Amino acid sequence: MDTFTIFLPVAGIHFNILLLLLIGFTVGVCGGFFGIGGAWIVTPALNIFGFPMPYAIGTDLAHMGGKSIVSTIRHGKFGNVDVKLGISMIVGTTVGMELGARLVMHLERIGLAEDYIRKMYVVFLAAIGSYVLYDYISHVRESRQAAREGAAVPTRPTFARRLQRLHLPPMIRFSASGITCSMWLPVGVGLVTGIVASVLGVGGGFIRMPALIYLVGCPTLVAVGTDLFEVMITGAYGAFTYGVKGRVDLIAALWMLVGAAIGAQLGTVAVKYVRGYSIRLLFAVTIFIACASVLTKQLQLQLASSILILTAGVAISGVILGLLVAGIQRERRERENPTGTNQGDWS
Amino acid sequence: MRRPIQNQPIVGWWRLIRVVPFVVTAVVSASASLAWAAGGKPATKLVNVADTRSLPPGFPRFVADVYNDNLLLYGLLVVVVMALTGFILGIVLDRVLMLLGLNLGKLQHHE
Repeated sequence: MDTFTIFLPVAGIHFNILLLLLIGFTVGVCGGFFGIGGAWIVTPALNIFGFPMPYAIGTDLAHMGGKSIVSTIRHGKFGNVDVKLGISMIVGTTVGMELGARLVMHLERIGLAEDYIRKMYVVFLAAIGSYVLYDYISHVRESRQAAREGAAVPTRPTFARRLQRLHLPPMIRFSASGITCSMWLPVGVGLVTGIVASVLGVGGGFIRMPALIYLVGCPTLVAVGTDLFEVMITGAYGAFTYGVKGRVDLIAALWMLVGAAIGAQLGTVAVKYVRGYSIRLLFAVTIFIACASVLTKQLQLQLASSILILTAGVAISGVILGLLVAGIQRERRERENPTGTNQGDWS
Repeated sequence: MRRPIQNQPIVGWWRLIRVVPFVVTAVVSASASLAWAAGGKPATKLVNVADTRSLPPGFPRFVADVYNDNLLLYGLLVVVVMALTGFILGIVLDRVLMLLGLNLGKLQHHE
């Protein structure tokens, strides 16, 4: 194992290359599949294996920017990236993150930052996970009911559709998402998600992805691809600002990127074989595990929290790879005996 | 009956408004440095020097030297290297997947 141990000059530690590749690969698979950066897996994983925390955060942001380029290229070729929508959201997100930072400073001045932010984090994660799971269960019930009656699945009037009908000029056609709405809708959603992400101290992928689905009304795959486009831009900025502060170990980030690039390609291709609602189900499970990890950390069980999140990350990427393999086998059988659709469904 | 929004003629100045988000993105992104320091206690300023004593000549030694000499240049190096590497790996791995016989064309979006 010493053959694979290298010296990282910036972080000032020795580290195993295989571990960097594994961490990168795991978060690459999850990131490519869900459209998230994966900082909540990488940062505790690096820290638990010896990286000082500021270097773990900076190195993760650097690798996240590079990894997201890989996923965005692939999602772009799939037609899952709505560039116009992504840029509109970035405008709002950047302003929102600045406002969130100021809110955190204010809470810190009045001595409430630690209490409020910790509790908000857990409540928020639980709320997102619960809503996504509720949405999946409702969809499954409606699909089974429709199948019994021999009817089509009814189209639910969603909150996103109501927001799309708000006539606040300019109205823009977001062609990749197939929606027409006010430009202020994605800007506003970006603003809110930016504030929340900044207050919670996260990149925001796991907030933006469901926001794109439930508030803007994107199809799931476009939400995944567009969110990765945003992570690419914000990751690049994060890499620069932490690099200038001297908190990025470029060598470690490059090794993680190699693993992440392979994982991201596989995770991205896996979405081809899974229906949107199944992606949502897995996303809900991932969020609940993240919530459990944060709760464990707040109970001062730091090591248990990091082990939980790392193990869960490996398990979830295993499930995604399983779906990919099953999908490829199904596709090969379809080619030999062409019938029906190639997208798998867990409902 | 009103024509759908996508078929309505675009008045000249509405077209100009569509450029605004792109300009605002460039300005706001360049000035939002404080946003990325959010989410925890600000990092204590430490003088950190990369240890180059045991590093042979090569890329890691070059990176460590840039780190020790000029952090602004180091920040730029990080972004350029990560972006370039990500781009190259993305193209290469895409080709590898296509060589494996996978159909990687545009997807139909089924929910």
